[in-house]
Amino acid sequence: MLSIKNLNVAINGRQILKNLNLEIKAGEMHAIMGPNGTGKSTLAATLAGREEYEVLSGEVIYKGKNLLDMAPDERAREGVFLAFQYPVEIPGVSVTNFMKAAINAKRRHFGLEPIEAKDFLKMMKEKMELVEIKKEMMSRSLNEGFSGGEKKRNEIFQMAMLEPSLSILDETDSGLDIDALRIVAEGVNKLRNKDTSFLVITHYQRLLNYIVPDVVHVMFDGTIVKTGGKELALELEEKGYDWVKGKTELVNN
Amino acid sequence: MSLVDNINKEFELLEKNINGQSGSALFTTRKQAFSAFQKLGIPSNRHEEWKYTHIKTKLPESLTITAKGQLQVTGGSYNSFANIKATKLVLVNGVFNPELSTIIEEKGVTAGSLKENLASNKELSEKYYNKLVHKYEEHFSLLNTAFATDGAFIHVKKGTQAKVPVFIIHIYNSPENFAQSRNLIVVEEGADINIVVDFQNAGAASFYNHVSEVFIGKNASANVVKLQTQTTNATAVHTLEADVDRDAKFSCTTISLEGTLIRNSTNVRLSGENTETHLNGLYYGKGKSLIDNHILVDHLVPNCQSNQLYKGVLDDEAVGVFNGKILVKPDAQKTNSFQSSKAILLSDNSSVNSKPQLEIFADDVKCSHGAAIGQLNENEIFYLKARGISEANAKSILTYAFANEIIQGIVIDELREYLDQKIKTQLGLDF
Repeated sequence: MLSIKNLNVAINGRQILKNLNLEIKAGEMHAIMGPNGTGKSTLAATLAGREEYEVLSGEVIYKGKNLLDMAPDERAREGVFLAFQYPVEIPGVSVTNFMKAAINAKRRHFGLEPIEAKDFLKMMKEKMELVEIKKEMMSRSLNEGFSGGEKKRNEIFQMAMLEPSLSILDETDSGLDIDALRIVAEGVNKLRNKDTSFLVITHYQRLLNYIVPDVVHVMFDGTIVKTGGKELALELEEKGYDWVKGKTELVNN
Repeated sequence: MSLVDNINKEFELLEKNINGQSGSALFTTRKQAFSAFQKLGIPSNRHEEWKYTHIKTKLPESLTITAKGQLQVTGGSYNSFANIKATKLVLVNGVFNPELSTIIEEKGVTAGSLKENLASNKELSEKYYNKLVHKYEEHFSLLNTAFATDGAFIHVKKGTQAKVPVFIIHIYNSPENFAQSRNLIVVEEGADINIVVDFQNAGAASFYNHVSEVFIGKNASANVVKLQTQTTNATAVHTLEADVDRDAKFSCTTISLEGTLIRNSTNVRLSGENTETHLNGLYYGKGKSLIDNHILVDHLVPNCQSNQLYKGVLDDEAVGVFNGKILVKPDAQKTNSFQSSKAILLSDNSSVNSKPQLEIFADDVKCSHGAAIGQLNENEIFYLKARGISEANAKSILTYAFANEIIQGIVIDELREYLDQKIKTQLGLDF
């Protein structure tokens, strides 16, 4: 699904990602953990195609294609989804209109006619139930005045609507209370299948109680320093990031 | 011969033809207005209020005010609001056309030709006609007073809550004339009405000068929407003069989507206490069009509230002008007055000239103004792109969202939907 090789990325002339390597197979759930400022969100933004992030070297192959050659909107239409850490508020555009524009952009990309109104409504209804979103929210302006939990649920709702192959969740759990966290996690779990892959970026182990990863990576100073199974998250929780930090410093020295 | 020479000649002719009535009150008004106009002439861009709006260069010298020959409207462009149940007064080059008009009778509401109603109702005519225009002397409103012979008239009697909105549809279709059209709207004490004033160009080009006078009586409410959405190739000056009496509510939304040169001068006098006024505007310039909104809110008395919210979108080489003035006279204590002007430039060659002005002569007031000119927000564009929406479409959606705030404020459902659809079509959006 996704293969990242020796990725080096800078922003404003400062290098953040350093020789990062990552391999995600179809159907896998990967979690990336690590302290703040270590480059987790930079990785997410680079994969989504944010222009400010400059790829210095390395390659990213997504479904056999060079992802870095694609514009952000093309990546999305090809099935890459980023759930934003801070979803953007857009006054004046309703969730419904926004979703319709996104779905139709994808359909056009694959040579399909715009979605029929009744199919669209049916789909909306199904996916709203998935993340326990109320109907009223659909006519509200996108993310405007949404609570933190509503914003994150709305991200997962969009993910469900767009049916991506690769979903990147950038700290979707941060700032959520336990109920919202449970709803978000259950939504993600229902979308797991053998053809979809996930990259869950998180600072806390808490989310991984609900979303059980196949692989856990620990990131530090712009690169992945440790990879293991789901038990790695627990070990990290117990020993803290200093444990990884110490290990890395030992390696570096 | 210059345009002003033409106008002088025509006024002489008008004076001659009016034979026998030259002593009438109305003709005296005309003469006074004309001599005031002669002193001012047509403003060049050296005039501060016309600095960015080079109207002189946009009015061909060969224009005449009086129509040459009979003008007919063909096609059904005047019928854009067929699905809206309303009284529709249709005027062609300022002249009321009873055949094209539809009048739904409503008790307490008179809607029809200005010419006829001024003639038949002397009392009203003397009380209201041209009583606001002279307060803020302006070149074009004087010219209008000198020449305008007809237009729309709406009178809502005391205590009448009009159920049916009134649409005034002005159609201009002569590229040879500088048409002068005039409306008089009187909403008496405790009355309430929704009015839409629509301007359309049905000819190859059109040149017109329009004046509306609106009186909102004590505790009355008038909601006016001005539409310049079918005015491609129009060069036009619109002056709206309103007087808001005690406890009254006035709102005016101006939507300008088309035109070579569109000037809107909106002058509102708050003459009674405890009034509430909302002036909203949306302008969207494309090609080489120029859209100019001049606003004056004159707070004469205490305890009034006024709000201005204008939003502009400028694309291609279009130019926008926003000049909003809040005047708070010495007596107008406890004034609450706010102004916000926002514009988005979609292209490198578009521009907007924004000039907010506060002149405050009272010491216990709350006034503020804000002007913002910018591009679309990059974070918002990226968010839409991250969902598969192309850059061009993302910009259209965000432009729509920006404009939507003004459209959403329109109270007539069918009109709001019509404008919503119009903007979507203009932006190529299909949701």
